[in-house]
Amino acid sequence: MPRAATVGRAGTPAVRAYAPIVVTGALAALLPLRYGDSRAMMGVVIGGVLFAAYTIGFNVIFGSTGQLFLCTGALAGLGGYGSAILSDRHGIPMVLSMVLASLAAAVAGGLLSWVAVSRSLGVIFTGIVTLAFSLSFENLLLGKRDLTGGETGLVVAAGSDTFLGEQVAPFYVFLGLVVAYLAVYRALQRSHLGWAFRALREDEIAAELAGVDVKRYRVVAGTLGSGMIGLAGALYAHSEGFISPRTFSFGEVDVLVIVMLAFGGIGSLLGPVVGAAVYTVLEEWIDSFDEYRLIIYGSVILVLFLTLPRGVVPTVLAFVGRLRRWWRARRPRAPAAPPPIATITPR
Amino acid sequence: MRAVVFDGVVLGLQFGLLGVGLTLVYGLAGVLNLAYGQLAVLGAVVAALRIDAGAPTIAAVLTGLAAAGAVALALDLTLMRPVYRRRGEDRVLLGLLLMLGVAFIIDGVLVWRYPIEALTLRIGGDPVDVLGTRMRTGSLLASAIALGVGAVLVVFLRYATAGKAVRSVIQDEEGAQLCGVSPARVRAFVFALSGVLAALVAVTRSMTSPVTVNAGIDFTILALIVAVVGGLGSVSGAFLAGVLLGVVNTVSAHYIGTYVTTIVLLGAAAVTIVLRPSGLLGAGRE
Repeated sequence: MPRAATVGRAGTPAVRAYAPIVVTGALAALLPLRYGDSRAMMGVVIGGVLFAAYTIGFNVIFGSTGQLFLCTGALAGLGGYGSAILSDRHGIPMVLSMVLASLAAAVAGGLLSWVAVSRSLGVIFTGIVTLAFSLSFENLLLGKRDLTGGETGLVVAAGSDTFLGEQVAPFYVFLGLVVAYLAVYRALQRSHLGWAFRALREDEIAAELAGVDVKRYRVVAGTLGSGMIGLAGALYAHSEGFISPRTFSFGEVDVLVIVMLAFGGIGSLLGPVVGAAVYTVLEEWIDSFDEYRLIIYGSVILVLFLTLPRGVVPTVLAFVGRLRRWWRARRPRAPAAPPPIATITPR
Repeated sequence: MRAVVFDGVVLGLQFGLLGVGLTLVYGLAGVLNLAYGQLAVLGAVVAALRIDAGAPTIAAVLTGLAAAGAVALALDLTLMRPVYRRRGEDRVLLGLLLMLGVAFIIDGVLVWRYPIEALTLRIGGDPVDVLGTRMRTGSLLASAIALGVGAVLVVFLRYATAGKAVRSVIQDEEGAQLCGVSPARVRAFVFALSGVLAALVAVTRSMTSPVTVNAGIDFTILALIVAVVGGLGSVSGAFLAGVLLGVVNTVSAHYIGTYVTTIVLLGAAAVTIVLRPSGLLGAGRE
């Protein structure tokens, strides 16, 4: 299991811990300067930011506590369809409907997590149970035609005459969401929860012996991450104005989210953002290959994971760390201290 | 009712055969072969192409099986090498991601080159009476093949020396190595075997309904569910799970109908996993 970035540990000054988030947010905020004129390109950019949000939510669940949730799409769909139906059919205010639908996603994720934890299901088994939930949800969307519009999809009207219907404004809403999620993730890493998560990931039995309530932390992570995914899905439904089962299907969401997180770096702060960004750029490029795009797509996945099996962010951080040690070693502080008798490598 | 249950058993044996190849590779190599369904379709397409070219059915089918087995073997010898150098969760994750890439590539090649190819094997003959229920010859032959292969596999794993070597690697890779079993060779063998089994499922399936180019992902997901419900690494478990899910599937399709069936099927799978977290006949480990 790849190690998390050490900067996130409790004890590093807050400025240093949160600086990467501010920098990422500021850089991303410049994107509309270049792409703001084109509705199509803004759609692509917003898609990338949306997936960054999904992937951070998934990272809270899988990266932090090792629960393989193969239902990111379904949880987002619960948020999206839930919020759309509540606001359009039942006249509930849009913001309230999004809150309620995200809560529903959080409860669903929490329940799945609780079942997995209380039956102590392993990684693969958790994966299959959540996959079953995912496929069932997709079938339910297709079957409950009168409520969801079935295969044809559902037009979501509530957001269209607010600023969510504009070209650039929704981008900043999603960016705000991603920055908030990143802040939540970092705060988690720095809190006692983060310590518990790390302990639990390094060695579950040792963590439990040291008094970490493994089960409770897993369920907390499952609930929180699912709520985050649900909220992102709800927001997308209103900004896009149209959703269909494909929008939230396993193949269209979960596969991408896993590839993005694994490529960016599991359990790292910026991994989801890097993964989503690289993936979005690559996908634009690959789409131009038309008929053999699937082949290129598969080959790119192979090359990426063969060259960077630990993910981009952990690899870069390890490299920077080595560079920094080398730099320090090159300039010994005068006068040279006597060599230590025994060296204890800090972990 | 009896006819429905029979249909369920026929379907279930297919499910079981589907799960076996995946379950062996996971139990043995810790690789969740997400390209499993694509290997099945690859075999089917090769067989269909041979039939189109005028080859006799049996020869075409054997070519298809061999092709899928050869591709699986090639994957094991090349792409899976870096995967085997890892242990534990790292191995599972990397193996899964690489096989996902392979799945896309195989899908891409097949859809690009042969978008409308499909394998249909017409098994002639009148319906046969089985315990007072009329069954199609195609489904009977498919079931017979599934049962036969299952039985051969169980006997092979239990009694043959090579089979014992396979089981020893499933139980403890390092221990097996210390006893002079080469895990690499056993893995290569089982990987190729799983490719052949995958293609065999596509072939038996095509005796009752056509197997199209884009069926890969459905095969993979079904195989995953069956393998996990049965307990990863257990051949008889896969068949038991297959039959259980097959019967649930047809009974619910007959009495409840339409889209609810899929949900019932998935629900049954989830409930089984929750009740028996290591699978029906799993050894109690992941």
